[in-house]
Amino acid sequence: MSEQAERLTAKRREFLKLLGMGGAAGAAALAAGGAAPSEAAAPAQPETGYRETAHVRKFYETARF
Amino acid sequence: MSVASASVADSTDRVTREIPEEELFRARLYSLLSRLLAAAPDAALLAALGRISGDASELGQAFAALARGAAAASAADAAAEYHDLFIGIGRGELLPYGSYYLTGFLHEKPLAELRDALAGLGVVRVPEVKEPEDHIAALCEVMAGLIEGAFGDSAPLTVQRRLFERHIAPWAARFFAELEAAKTAEFYRAVGRVGRLFIGIETIAFAMTPSDELDRRAT
Repeated sequence: MSEQAERLTAKRREFLKLLGMGGAAGAAALAAGGAAPSEAAAPAQPETGYRETAHVRKFYETARF
Repeated sequence: MSVASASVADSTDRVTREIPEEELFRARLYSLLSRLLAAAPDAALLAALGRISGDASELGQAFAALARGAAAASAADAAAEYHDLFIGIGRGELLPYGSYYLTGFLHEKPLAELRDALAGLGVVRVPEVKEPEDHIAALCEVMAGLIEGAFGDSAPLTVQRRLFERHIAPWAARFFAELEAAKTAEFYRAVGRVGRLFIGIETIAFAMTPSDELDRRAT
């Protein structure tokens, strides 16, 4: 990696770290809030699948008429 | 919602590496936004979100507002809100699709271009899903997957940047701002605020990534 690229990468890390740490409590809860409960909410779904959501069904109803 | 299974074709030339904490933070935030925009939160997710706290920064304050909103809402409230916002009678208050924001219509050229871009990344919809890929929840899920390596390996920042700048940045901040101001929203206004701020953060952070040119020279 060139020197300029390295400097940019370091700058980016600092910038994001500041945010991550700034919302540290938030960030920690995101792991629990974002991943675990939503997965638990849809245990039958494949991990990488599209979930059929309410608006999916609605969209196709709308499209039909 | 949305997306995807990995292609195996190009996975061999990718290198497994540790994902830095600050990049994981981005992935988690994309995942959370994807989850909340694909469907209304259930009671468990609301409870988890209610425990978030934020510092004095703008994003921290947005997290705090999200937590307050989550603590104040029941799953039924959130479901009703989601319905009014994104489903509605006829249509919801908002249409969270890139093509709609960019052209005024669904299923236009931006969707076709996005499909090409996703195909190039080896990301495809699972067969049973009919939802267009330019739904904001789908795009957030793809970004989270690229960061975490759900589609083979953690994608280089230049790859993430290209998808973000071409297919998300041109409209997502506008969508999140509208969500933040939505008449029928309460809990989801806070989601809009977090999303709007995050898109701004991503825009700045991507400007700090080395260009494709530099990256090519490096490899």
